[in-house]
Amino acid sequence: MKFQLKNIAAVVAISLSFASCSNDDDVNSNTLGEGNLKLEFDQIYNGADFAFNTAYTNSNGEVVKVDVAKYIVSNIVLTKMDGSVYTVPKSESYFIIDEETEATHLINLPNIPAADYTKVSFGIGVDKEQFDLGATGQTSFLQTAQDAGMMWSWSAGYKFVALEGKFTSSTVTTEAQFKVHTGQTGNDYNYNTITLDLPDNALVRTTITPQIHIMADLSKIIDGTNVINLSDGATIMGGEKLPLITANLSNMFEVHHVHND
Amino acid sequence: MKTKYILLFAFLFLFSCSDDNGEENYQKIPINYEVPSNFPPLTYDLSNNPLTEKGFELGKKLFYEGRLASDGIVSCGFCHEQASAFTHHGHTFSHGVDGNIGTRNTPPIQNLAYQTVFMWDGATTHLELQPIIPFTSEIEMNGNFTNAITMMKGDATYQKLFAQAFPDGAINSENMLKALAQFMVMVTSSNSKFDKYRRNEVGGNLSADELAGYAVFNQKCASCHATDLFTDNSFRNNGLPINPSLNDIGRYRVTELDSDKYKFKVPSLRNIEKTAPYMHDGRFFTLEAVLNHYSSGVVSSTTLDSSLSQNGTLGIPLTNLEKTQVIAFLKTLTDYQFLTDSRFSEY
Repeated sequence: MKFQLKNIAAVVAISLSFASCSNDDDVNSNTLGEGNLKLEFDQIYNGADFAFNTAYTNSNGEVVKVDVAKYIVSNIVLTKMDGSVYTVPKSESYFIIDEETEATHLINLPNIPAADYTKVSFGIGVDKEQFDLGATGQTSFLQTAQDAGMMWSWSAGYKFVALEGKFTSSTVTTEAQFKVHTGQTGNDYNYNTITLDLPDNALVRTTITPQIHIMADLSKIIDGTNVINLSDGATIMGGEKLPLITANLSNMFEVHHVHND
Repeated sequence: MKTKYILLFAFLFLFSCSDDNGEENYQKIPINYEVPSNFPPLTYDLSNNPLTEKGFELGKKLFYEGRLASDGIVSCGFCHEQASAFTHHGHTFSHGVDGNIGTRNTPPIQNLAYQTVFMWDGATTHLELQPIIPFTSEIEMNGNFTNAITMMKGDATYQKLFAQAFPDGAINSENMLKALAQFMVMVTSSNSKFDKYRRNEVGGNLSADELAGYAVFNQKCASCHATDLFTDNSFRNNGLPINPSLNDIGRYRVTELDSDKYKFKVPSLRNIEKTAPYMHDGRFFTLEAVLNHYSSGVVSSTTLDSSLSQNGTLGIPLTNLEKTQVIAFLKTLTDYQFLTDSRFSEY
């Protein structure tokens, strides 16, 4: 008798839950459980698809050919429609985007609560809070960074952005090398946070993995709000220009579209 | 009935734990680290990396591991020899892989858990990250995390030690650096004759010369070589003539501030008798030469430390008697227990 009652109760509960599914509005029904979200970082150069060893002309007339383009993306935070946020666990939130390695362009974030997301934010570099913890919480990221050439060995720190290649200008007529590395130098930590509004909400569901297609305009690193003349000094790994470059990164990223497949 | 099964299962599980691969499990045997009573407080945060016997053992093995270097030979201990307070005995500069020679004198490893900034120019501010610099430097160990991790993952001793030393047992760069940090924290020198004098312990009787030297030292040296660690952790230009073949700009490399040009970290003076040659570039071979520099060799420059240019006089006035006394005092900082402690030795 007892078991029968239990069974009946279960059946009632199940049918109620079905009923609620079909009856209720979609917010409640669709935002149960967790899904995945993908961030795609697609490199462009001043409105054109980016390719290595291709000549691009900056606004100051300098012609650059890039052969290294890498940056660290970290601390991803997603904002829901109601304004609340989901923070990807810190220990799983450090990535290196390397133009040369296609697989790094797509970040897959698992275990994202199902919801409609309106914003994404992320850091460029490794935040000071994490860096000050020393090895704690870095797991294998130091190794990953060294393999990617994104470690500043002499100071045991990270390169946040590496952009290298060759350039010519009206004063530098023979192709010369340029190297731009950002990271902690002197009293400037040079980490910054990018927040991007999504043109369409990213609808994370157990059955839907949205893909946020982010355009990263590499030209903005040196040819952005602050125009950096490589002719004045083509190795920038510190000094007064580094904070200018860090500021430029704020306008480097844009969400082109969101797939909700 | 169900409960009984669960209990039985739990019992079997416990049994298998204690009987089976116990060797491969985390062994939380804590090391109780005590701050010597004459020392300032620790700066290293032990809560993120609690000292354990196995963590220390792993750190020591890594410290003496030649296979971390690209040539399979140059370990940390290659340039940091215990008998010389973990400096490279007699070397002005040290030689790394493939005979490469550096440009700065190997500093001692002792009491690093009390320091806030490391290397002659303060290139790093965290003890756990410091080893990255010599490990990855092309002219020192020229090491690579991926190669080191691969080597250790294929080595039965490392497999066992990582499992015993850390709760997650992972052989990765984080745990490798944490183990090295545990070793460095333990490498503490606090039992010199001077320490015993300071703590009123047996063996702490200073001679008249040593006491006179301590008085001169306190009057003329202790503003920079402060506390019983003998450094105030600051960066200063101590008036060395610039060696044009090196033109080492010191702290400027890190801060890019003109005011930091030619400044170097004030070194501790512990075990100074055993750590010749002296200065960031190892230019002085004796303590007499060091004191002669301070009394008559200081050269002026825009960043010269103000304490070395008082009332229009360069340097620190020292009579020959005072120099003899200061050197007698400095030799009381030699910690023979530390220099021969078998816990820290390679073999």
